[in-house]
Amino acid sequence: MHEAKHSLGVILFPAFDWSISPTHPEREERLLYTQDQLKEEGLFDIEGVDEYKPGVASREDVERTHFCFPELEAVATRSHMVAAGGCITAADLVMQGRAKKAFALVRPPGHHAMKVVQGSRGFCNINIEAVMIEHLRENHGKRRIAVVDTDCHHGDGTQDIYWHDPDVLFISLHQDGRTLYPGTGFPTDCGGPKALGRTINIPLPPGTSDEGYMMAMERVVMPILKDFQPEVVINSAGQDNHFTDPITNMNLTAQGYAKLTELLQADLAVLEGGYSIQGALPYVNLGICLSMAGLDYSGVREPGFDAVRHSQRPQIAEYLAKMCDTLPELYFNPPALSEAMQGGVIEDGWFVRHKDIYYDTDGISEAQTESLLMCDSCRGLLKVVSRSTKNPDCLGVEIPVDACPRCREMGLAHYDEAQAKDGYRYTQLINRVDRQYLRHGF
Amino acid sequence: MYLGIDVGGTHTDAVALDEAGIAAQVKVKTNHHDLLASVNAALAGILATVDPRDVRQLNLSTTLSTNAIVQGTTEDVGMLVVSGTGIHAGDFMLCRDYHALSGSIDHRGSEIERLDEAEVKAAIASCRKAGVRVFGCVGKFSTRNPLHENTIRQMIGPAEGEGADAVTLGHELGGRLNFPRRLATAYFNCAVWRVFNTFADAVEKSLERLGLGHVRVNTLKADGGTFPLSQARKMPVQSIFSGPAASVMGIIALCDITHDSVILDIGGTTTDIAVFVDGQPLVEHDGIHIGSHPTLVRALKVHSIGIGGDSAISVLGEAVRVGPNRLGPSQADCVAEGCACAENARPTLIDALNCTGACAHGNVAASRQAMEAFARCHSISPDVLARQAVEAAAEAIYKSARELIGEINDKPVYTIHELLEGRRVAPRRVYIMGGPAEAMKEAVRQRFELFTVVPKHSGVANAIGAALTRNTASLELFADTEKGVMFIPALRHRENVPRSYNLRDAERDALNHMLAHLSEMGVFADRDNAQVNHATSFNMVSDGATTGRNIRVKCQIKPGVAFPLAGTGR
Repeated sequence: MHEAKHSLGVILFPAFDWSISPTHPEREERLLYTQDQLKEEGLFDIEGVDEYKPGVASREDVERTHFCFPELEAVATRSHMVAAGGCITAADLVMQGRAKKAFALVRPPGHHAMKVVQGSRGFCNINIEAVMIEHLRENHGKRRIAVVDTDCHHGDGTQDIYWHDPDVLFISLHQDGRTLYPGTGFPTDCGGPKALGRTINIPLPPGTSDEGYMMAMERVVMPILKDFQPEVVINSAGQDNHFTDPITNMNLTAQGYAKLTELLQADLAVLEGGYSIQGALPYVNLGICLSMAGLDYSGVREPGFDAVRHSQRPQIAEYLAKMCDTLPELYFNPPALSEAMQGGVIEDGWFVRHKDIYYDTDGISEAQTESLLMCDSCRGLLKVVSRSTKNPDCLGVEIPVDACPRCREMGLAHYDEAQAKDGYRYTQLINRVDRQYLRHGF
Repeated sequence: MYLGIDVGGTHTDAVALDEAGIAAQVKVKTNHHDLLASVNAALAGILATVDPRDVRQLNLSTTLSTNAIVQGTTEDVGMLVVSGTGIHAGDFMLCRDYHALSGSIDHRGSEIERLDEAEVKAAIASCRKAGVRVFGCVGKFSTRNPLHENTIRQMIGPAEGEGADAVTLGHELGGRLNFPRRLATAYFNCAVWRVFNTFADAVEKSLERLGLGHVRVNTLKADGGTFPLSQARKMPVQSIFSGPAASVMGIIALCDITHDSVILDIGGTTTDIAVFVDGQPLVEHDGIHIGSHPTLVRALKVHSIGIGGDSAISVLGEAVRVGPNRLGPSQADCVAEGCACAENARPTLIDALNCTGACAHGNVAASRQAMEAFARCHSISPDVLARQAVEAAAEAIYKSARELIGEINDKPVYTIHELLEGRRVAPRRVYIMGGPAEAMKEAVRQRFELFTVVPKHSGVANAIGAALTRNTASLELFADTEKGVMFIPALRHRENVPRSYNLRDAERDALNHMLAHLSEMGVFADRDNAQVNHATSFNMVSDGATTGRNIRVKCQIKPGVAFPLAGTGR
């Protein structure tokens, strides 16, 4: 009767025992109706579509990705570890050939979690896509990876983690930061000095509908992906761009989301936000699953749909058309470093920038100094000094994947020296060359 | 006295027993063209030594519904389907008179789109024109709100006159969510309805004639329980594939199983393999497939392979194989004493067992003769051929059991009582029953390298299981305190509840309604065997304020046997 064109593994982890607070949008009930809808549709009886249990991410899975201060246990619960583990399960399914595509339908989400984690911001603690990407690199030998973040909020966490990484292309389509949390994600933010053009931000005006999203996909995202030729394409599939979402202002429909998914042909999708838990999520998630599996999704229609009310104003189409003319340039002809310093400076061969970060969910303020060694033979050694209203000075040192011997030596020396002399309360070393992950402090 | 009859693919087995042991047992050949004749013959055999007045209960397991589906002797069904949003209803077209109707109910049971009454009327008229007398009405999320199914039911009208002989409503099949399965289950229930009811009428007549009119009659289900015949007449689909369950329940009655074990029921045509975890049988969590259609019919987890006593032996190159073809009865059974086998007679597994000396069944000389002739054709010595055939059968059974265990260990494990997470199954014993059980014991023991048991009465374990299986029931309750509604789909019970209704109230109501329903049917169910399998309550929040609770409860009467039959009999 039914057979999926692409076999699809769905990892469902609704975290029915975890919430930020009883009435918070990120609460137990969030995936209840989605689970009901998928079950009632008999999705997992379709030949080629299977449900899988999530694994649990290990300490090392997270510590190769993040600097967690003061320590992992303080910033992530078991639910976070299972959500990240679900993403790893999804990656393994596809890499081992057990499924052509996989969708990690898990919560809590992660795309606002940055390189340094001191607590929860934008409902996110650990970046589950990033944990998945680093797992793909460490255990499946993948290098070039593209992340297309379609969540309505700017994926500032993923952007931060891959800011200096020329091998990860990060594209975010989101509601314009002038009108929505986290208030970032403008076209001028296009990557660090070693990775210019590898971060592409597409801010969409409030009221953008299926049509506008498809225009951005067809004219900006797809040509860039085609050129970048990633080994793996990941979709951060937040669903708060739906017209019924209570905390955003977009007009995307379930049909629009399914079409977008069909065009993108991501290998892996990860649920991010989406808080219209009754009126949108059951239908959007069904649409994504059917679309990923190459099945007919034309019957998926949410109750509140109104073709007239949910079309976009002509002015939005005009605005977007202009933006779509210029945005691909950021990738194909990135600006010169001198024009893209973003407040950073170059001191003694290091690129140094200061960041102030506010963890809105936990109410923590953090100040960071990030230094990247401008190395000619690799991505460059990364050092982050962080202090917050929760923790005194902390240090993170990352020797990146495929670091050159000089960066490795320097990284190890810096870390040892910091232990001995500098007064850091907590220190963490990510050494990807030797797969060494150390933590000090108490 | 309890009677149990298992109408199987090859034999019909019957026993009469009580706490003291087995009073009578009968084995007759199954007549596939007249199952009633097989039942009558078995009953007559039992009543030769048992006084009908002593009999209190008859439990019946038949292949009737299964056969009707396999042989295509089912009747045309009018399917009236309201699929709402999502996967197109047209994709599940099961039969000719299939009508996808507009209308939509969402996951919370809110009506999103109304039924189009003119469209429903036209669909019913079209079915009537095609001569359809049984209808299935199935809606997506009808287990949350049966409004559309009930409306269509009313429009079809009563049983008399123009109406319909039988109507199955999707929500009556239980509260589980799975629209395509609900659709298929309703369809098969309607399709076998007449066949089953005609048979039930005839069985009741026979019982009356044999002086058994006072006997309570139950039908076996595939999930290791029984339900009253009156109930089975409404839900005949539940009686499908009950044979393997009868055998599994038989082993429970005969042996005190405490370890992880493999259960083999070696019959004439097939071997059924079941796995016990901590002494409990496993259930198929989602329900069995009928043909290629997944359904909501719950069943014990049993894997069947085409190897039995009557399976033909074949030689392919160097390899000796047994089954999966069944080429009629063995030479030991079909050749009269002192006669010669037909030319080119094909020996079967039983013949091989006769030759190795593992058993002495029927005409042993005929077995030898056929084996010698067949071995000569393939230039092997008859002894080697016989030995290799028995080994091949044991190997195939072993491989299949290994596969089943692998599959079980891959997914969450559901026993009849509970969900076991992260539990790895490692069998420590093998239990064998069925006709060739004793003869295959040694070969199985050598291949499995496990302690192997053939219980007493293993030849009629299936009938013993049938006789002793208790009534079971299960139901799902769904409550939404924002809407102020509690709904038990299987019982078609819907009532208003206050906003204060909570999980504890729901658990209590689910159990009480289940026990009350059983007692209405004249079934005594021990409250101790009733359990809540699943109970969750979610706060529903809208605009930052809690608006109500969304409660789901599942409960069941645990399957089991009326009493163990560990004694050696009279």
